[in-house]
Order: sequence, then C-alpha cells, then structure tokens
Amino acid sequence: MMSLRMLSTGLISAALIFNAGCSTLESAQSTLPAPVEQRISSLAALSKQNPVTRTLDIQEWQTSAGTKVLFMAAPELPMFDLRLTFAAGSSKDQQAYGLASLTNAMLNEGTGTLDAGQIATRFEDLGAEFSSGSYRDMAVVTLRSLSDPKLSTPALELLSQVAAQPSFPANSLARIKNQLLAGFEYQKQNPGQLASLALFEQLYGKHPYAHSSSGNAESVPVITRQQLQNFHRTYYSAENAQIALVGDLTITQAKAISETVSARLPRGTAAAVTAKPIATKASTTHIEFPSTQTHILLAQLAVKRGDPDYPALFLGNQILGGGGFGTRLMEEVREKRGLTYGIYSSFSPMQAPGPFMINVQTRAPLSEATLQLVQELLRDYISNGPTAAELADAKRESLGSFPLSAASNSAIVGQLAAIGFYDMPLTWMSDFMQDLQKLSVADVHAAFKRHLDPEQLVIVTAGPTVAQLPLPEPVERSEQTAPVERQH
Amino acid sequence: MNTYLRYIVLFLSSAVITPLMAQSATTEFSLDNGLKVIVREDHRAPVVVSQLWYKVGSSYEVPGSTGLAHALEHMMFKGSSKLGPGESSRILRELGAEENAFTSDDYTAYYQVLARDRLEVALEMEADRLASLTLPEDEFIREIEVIKEERRMRTDDRPSGLAYERFKALAYPASGYHIPTIGWMHDLDRMTITDLREWHERWYSPNNATLVIVGDVQPDEIKTLVTRYFGKIPARPLPAVKQPLELAEPGQRSITLYLKTQLPSLMMGFNVPSLASTDKPNEVHALRLISALLDGGNSARLPAQLERKQELVAGASAWYNAFSRGDSLFVLSATPNVQKDKTLAQVETGIWQQLKQLQETAPSAAELARVRAQVLASEVYEQDSITSQATQIGQLESVGLSWRVKDSDLAALEAVTPADIQAAAQKFFTATRLTTAYIHPEEARP
Repeated sequence: MMSLRMLSTGLISAALIFNAGCSTLESAQSTLPAPVEQRISSLAALSKQNPVTRTLDIQEWQTSAGTKVLFMAAPELPMFDLRLTFAAGSSKDQQAYGLASLTNAMLNEGTGTLDAGQIATRFEDLGAEFSSGSYRDMAVVTLRSLSDPKLSTPALELLSQVAAQPSFPANSLARIKNQLLAGFEYQKQNPGQLASLALFEQLYGKHPYAHSSSGNAESVPVITRQQLQNFHRTYYSAENAQIALVGDLTITQAKAISETVSARLPRGTAAAVTAKPIATKASTTHIEFPSTQTHILLAQLAVKRGDPDYPALFLGNQILGGGGFGTRLMEEVREKRGLTYGIYSSFSPMQAPGPFMINVQTRAPLSEATLQLVQELLRDYISNGPTAAELADAKRESLGSFPLSAASNSAIVGQLAAIGFYDMPLTWMSDFMQDLQKLSVADVHAAFKRHLDPEQLVIVTAGPTVAQLPLPEPVERSEQTAPVERQH
Repeated sequence: MNTYLRYIVLFLSSAVITPLMAQSATTEFSLDNGLKVIVREDHRAPVVVSQLWYKVGSSYEVPGSTGLAHALEHMMFKGSSKLGPGESSRILRELGAEENAFTSDDYTAYYQVLARDRLEVALEMEADRLASLTLPEDEFIREIEVIKEERRMRTDDRPSGLAYERFKALAYPASGYHIPTIGWMHDLDRMTITDLREWHERWYSPNNATLVIVGDVQPDEIKTLVTRYFGKIPARPLPAVKQPLELAEPGQRSITLYLKTQLPSLMMGFNVPSLASTDKPNEVHALRLISALLDGGNSARLPAQLERKQELVAGASAWYNAFSRGDSLFVLSATPNVQKDKTLAQVETGIWQQLKQLQETAPSAAELARVRAQVLASEVYEQDSITSQATQIGQLESVGLSWRVKDSDLAALEAVTPADIQAAAQKFFTATRLTTAYIHPEEARP
C-alpha cells in the first residue's frame, strides 16, 4: 500500500509556494535571500532554449471501408498498440441509459464461435492485452501485442472478430448486468461519485451528457440483447471508426492491419455530432452522507473541442488550478490553510461543450467556509485575470513539459486517437504549443470572462450536516526566503 | 539502435514465447559516501526520470510514532538550505517537470520526470534536501492537517481502505508491516516536528539511498553530475536494520467489520515469505505463478470459475508481493454476487475450493505456458514507460534485492514445475497461516 504526497490529475504537478515561517521570518526580513538562480547554480547554467522534443512522424490514410487511420512507426520495442475509437459513447444511449457501455462491455463475451473464456484464453496465450472502454463521446477497443507476426496476426484476427462480430450471448448479458448493478451499489458508498453524478444531471438537464455512461439501476436491467445488436450495427461501423496505431510495424504492415480490421466492421455512416446543451442556471444541491469529509464540486458549461478559446482557457487554468502544486487554488486552500489534500480545476472539452469544474474535499465542519473561499478565489481570478509573471511561468512550464507528452508508445497512441476522433490536424500538438506561447494576459482574462460567470455556478456538496467552523488563519509566506541551515 | 532492448522475442509454437536476453544497457556505480547509482539508457525520447529511493518506510516505525516516514515525505517539499518552502516544486513546475514522491512499508522515494537538459537542476535540489532539510515548525503544523485530510479521504471515508488497514494490522502480528503507512489518526495528532527532525537525521544519508536514472542519458555524464551534487554529502552510521519477520504459522485469525458500504466483501491473507526473506526461492516463484493462475488475466481461474461459470462473485482478486523486504502475505479478496443471492459464506467456500484444487491437482502445461507468455510479454510492455523501468529497479534495490534479479526472473519462473506449484499450495494455504476479514454493511449489524 502506497501513500502519495498528492494525487496528480494532470501531467504536471508542482508547487509554487512562498516563504517560510515564524522561526525563519526574522532572518528572512533582515537578510533577503539571493535570487534563486544564485542559490541553485544549475538553474543559472540552464540554457534558456526550449527543450528538444521527439519528432513524431505521423502518417494518415483512409482504408477502403472508410476508416481513418493514424500511424506512427516506433521500432525500438518489439510491440505495438492499436486503438479503435467509435463515436459510440453514452451520448448515443437515447433513453436506454447504459446501452453504449453495456454494448462495449459485451464485445469480448462471445463471437458466435468463441465464448468469453475462449476469447480471453486466446489473447492471453499470445501475450496480447485486450481492453475496451466507453465514455460520453466515444467507445474504445484496444490491443497491445508483441510485434512478431506469428503472435500479432492471430491476436489481430481475434480483435477483428471481437469488434466486428460480437454475438452478445444472453447468459453473459445477464451476468454483466448484475456486475453493473453491483457497481451502482459501490457508487452509493462514495460521496465523491454521488456528487459527480448529481453535478452532471444539474449541468446538462435533458442533454445526452446528463446521465452517467454506466446507466443506472433502473435503466440497465431492461436493456435487451436486440438493443445491443442494433446499437452495434449502427455505431460500430467502419465509417464511424478511427484507428490509431503506434509501434514496431512498417507502413506496409500498418496498412494491411488497418485494412483487415476495418473491412470486418459493419458498413454504415458516421454518427451525427452531439447537439449543444442549453446553458444552465446557478443551483446548489446538497447530498446528505455520513462521511468525515464533505466533497464539493463547482461547475459551469464551457467549451467543446476545437473552440478557438481553448488554448487561453487551458493556460489560464494551469494558473488557477490545473495540474497540481503551485496553482492559486492549491496554494490558498492546501498550502496556506491545510484545508484539503487536493483541489483541482479543469476544462473538459468534448464533442459538445464540456464542463469547467473545480473539485475539493475537506473536513465537514469547514465545508461551508471552504466553499466560500473557493468561490472568492474564482471570482477574483475571473475579474482580474492572471498576472504577467504567472502567465510567463505557465508558458515556460508548457514548453518544458511538451517532450513528456510523447515519451512512450502509450502516450502517443492516446494522442493519435484523440486527433483522429476529434478530427484535428496532425500537427495539433505542436500547433497547440505555439498557440499557448502567443497568448497575452488580456487574451486569457478575456477568455475566462467570456466563458465563466462566477454567479452562474452549479454547486453540489456531499457530506454530513454538522456545526460549521470559521476558516483557520492563512500562513502568509513572503516571496522568497533564507531558510535556516540545519547541519547533519 | 536496438542495443537497449532487454529481450528479443522469438516465437516457437502456438503457446510458447521464448526470450533471448540481449545486452541491457544498465550501469551501476557507487560514490565514496555509499550512494548507489543505477543508470539505464533509453534513447527513444529526449526525456529522463530521476528517482531517489531511501531504505526507510512505515515498517521501520514503532507504535506511538506511526506515519513518520510518510509525514517526512510531505515535509521534504518545505525547504532546504538553498530553497524556501515549496520552492523546489515551483522551479520544477516552471521547467515542465512532473514530480512527486511516495511512501510504502519498505521505502520512501522522490522522483522527477523531465526534459533531459533539465536533469541537473533536479539533482541539485534533490541533493540539497538530503543534506540540509529545513523542517520549519509552522509549515509542519499546517502540513499535518493536510495529511489528516489525506487519511480521511483514503482510509476513514473509504470502506475498502479502512477494511484493508484493519486486516493488515491483524495479518502481521510480529512485524512492522501491521503499521498503516499513513499512520493512525491518534499518532498524527501527537506527532511533533522534533520526531521528524530525528527521522531525517537517522535515515536520510547517502549510504541509505539508491539513485535510479532512466532515459536519454549517458552513464559518464550522470557520474559527473551525481558526484558534483551528492559527492560531498558525508556518509553517516545507520541504525542496525532488522528484516521484518513473521511467525510462519501465527494461527487462524478473523475480524468482522460493519462499514458504510452497500455490499459485503471478504479478504483472506496467508502469511508467506518473500523473495528477500526465503531460503527457498522456488517456493516464492511458485506462489507468484499461483497468483497469476488465479488472477493473471480474464482467462484465469477466479474470473473464469467464480465470476463467469459459478456466478458466485461480482469480482474476485488474488495478490502477492514477492518483492517485499520481509515476510509477505498472499491475499485473496472477493465480493459476492448479491444479485444471485450469494453470501459471504458461499464465497469463502468457493475460494477454498479453488485453493484445494491447487493443492490436489497440478496445473496443466498449457495453463502454465499461458501464464508465462503473459509474464514475458509484460516484461516487454513495461519497457514502454521509463517510470516503470526505474520503479522496478528502485523497488528491488530498496527491499534488499538486486535489480539484476529481473534478468534471471524468466529462468526462475521457467524452473517452477507443476508439482512445485501443488507443493507450495499445500504448504502455504493452511488455516494456521490465515487471516480472514468479513466486511458487512452497517445495516447488517446484529
């Protein structure tokens, strides 16, 4: 069992903090410390040049069945990753909440000639890893295999069968439904999840993003095998699919693989784009729960993928609460006041506008005061925007972290899948970096004002009703410090 | 180009994957002060991970002072001679680094993942907090509140976390492994900055640490940098360290918990050795294969038999850490399929049937070949992440094994026969080694 200093939700985790405390305050005031570059000699020596980034040579083509393919050769390790994405997420459920998710979970339960156990046995005999998942916009099917064709050919053949010809056996359907029902029972013991479910309902009303991708205890039991078959035929078509492929393959092999996989899929059409949700009004919902902490979520509908304001919102959010240590929220709520283990904010752009969200949990007697503090911090940020120094730091951070985003096959295949699914240019990653570098304080400030209104937040809390306490006094740190030396 | 590949995989027949060992570009050296450094080259991308592992964790703690290793990990970010509180994190963030730290029973480790040209900054700051941590009291007073929030989130408000903590406390009667890494709440309440200063003084010295660097680097440049920043830190005498040893057969134990959960669940743990504590490594490798036979994939016995065929459980798992510093635990856990009206008692019987089957019948060659194919493939897949490569090296070194263990691992697993597996099941799956936790919803309290 491990215990981490922090749960990192993003790529970057760190901490901007200011100064030391009472014991060192006097010395800090009398002898101001040298600039950090003088104290950390390697920092002064560090070139101001941007770091080198791996060059991604991405190839794109369309298979004869109409599936878009993105491929990058990575011959260094004898393995490859294939990711099939379909516009077949829970936004296509209509009234059968959980249908998309159930269809996806049933793919490897049978193919007519093979049952679930035989499918698993074949993949595992080959050392191949199969997985699948379903979200609001998309359903995903992945295969990780060694690249030796004697292993990969049968693994790909099986993957094709599973994705294209699932038989949805009735006994498996009953069992998977029961497992989903058990999952709903588990949700009931998790106040954070309960709050999140309520938040999406409040934010999206009747929009297809409102319900949980897993469905619920009322909707799942009545879903029929016929519905799964229809859903699969409609949404798992070659025209509604994209393939991302990264690894030890030649382009000839990659083309052959993508041809074979897509040729087996049903033929159809690309699904219609999810409609825009109607803007929601401010609301506050409380879920009574016998926990020691209260979970607090604040949210508002924001932007979709490809919104021209997204770079400004992303960069601004890195300053407000994205990534981890060093954000305004982490600084004020955790570092200065010890109120929480973690507080994060995020934009989640999807095919239709996704939410801006802040989440935090704190001991129940301080929940109301913490909520007020967070609202004040957000209000201040939207009114005044970031400082020039904050913006410069965030730009430098994004440049420095860029090489990390392409450090592994699994990271690259994830990016290719997103580029393919959301129909972005192949240069999207470097374009995005360049967009960030061009932003001014005014750009970020204006984007936040355009998309967020601190008086229109949807707020959900989950926790016990207890007598409330005032906030502890914050400990202010000066910008820098001269720490007391301790010899060992 | 392919010189850093550790394995080249050849295919022989429909269910056999055979590895050929290739030259592994891993370099090991030590500084005069005892700091051990292990460098693995991976030139796929211009990035590097640096991890500093200290041989100290919660199993080194004593009653009344639990949670110290983890609390010190938090305080390592609160300033050192060259840096103010939180300043290293601010610098690393600006550099685009990903950084954090983690604490377990056996070790405390700090890491940075960053563009290769920035590695030196990470090393300079890491060396500074090893040599001269500030540990300001006012920062501690606030940070201990953060740690209590962490405990509430991960343990007190999470039934599975709480159950595991109580289960573990019972399953390890003799060793420090009964201590929860985050610490008991009443010990967090009475922890002082002096406790932490003593902890840092006692355990944080170069001769108690392993630095692991994996990425687009050359061993020579690393040696220069590491010597520059760590070389002057003096070695210090370390307390005598005793390996966590358990009673082989402590006797049958059980605990019943009523928690804020909707579903009942069951945990069973058998006291068993680890690779570091055994003098019969073949038994440990047999236990690892048993864990894979039971839960190594969707075709393994627990999902195939208990989940799909009998529909007895909503989920079941088997877990065994062979790479701990001292005696370990073989753990099984399961949640009954309540939609089919299955009970904890039936699940317990069902799990025992699986264990008895292992005791009575040796596994088939085909089943074992499948398990080995998965192990082999995962050895290749793990190399996709520089972080998982570094973590594997650091963990092995920190529990008293060598990173080279992995190079002979496949041979060790190949050497286990079906009869060895049967014998290990007979020896270790006995009531006298067993701890059982029964977890019920509050509403079921009699």
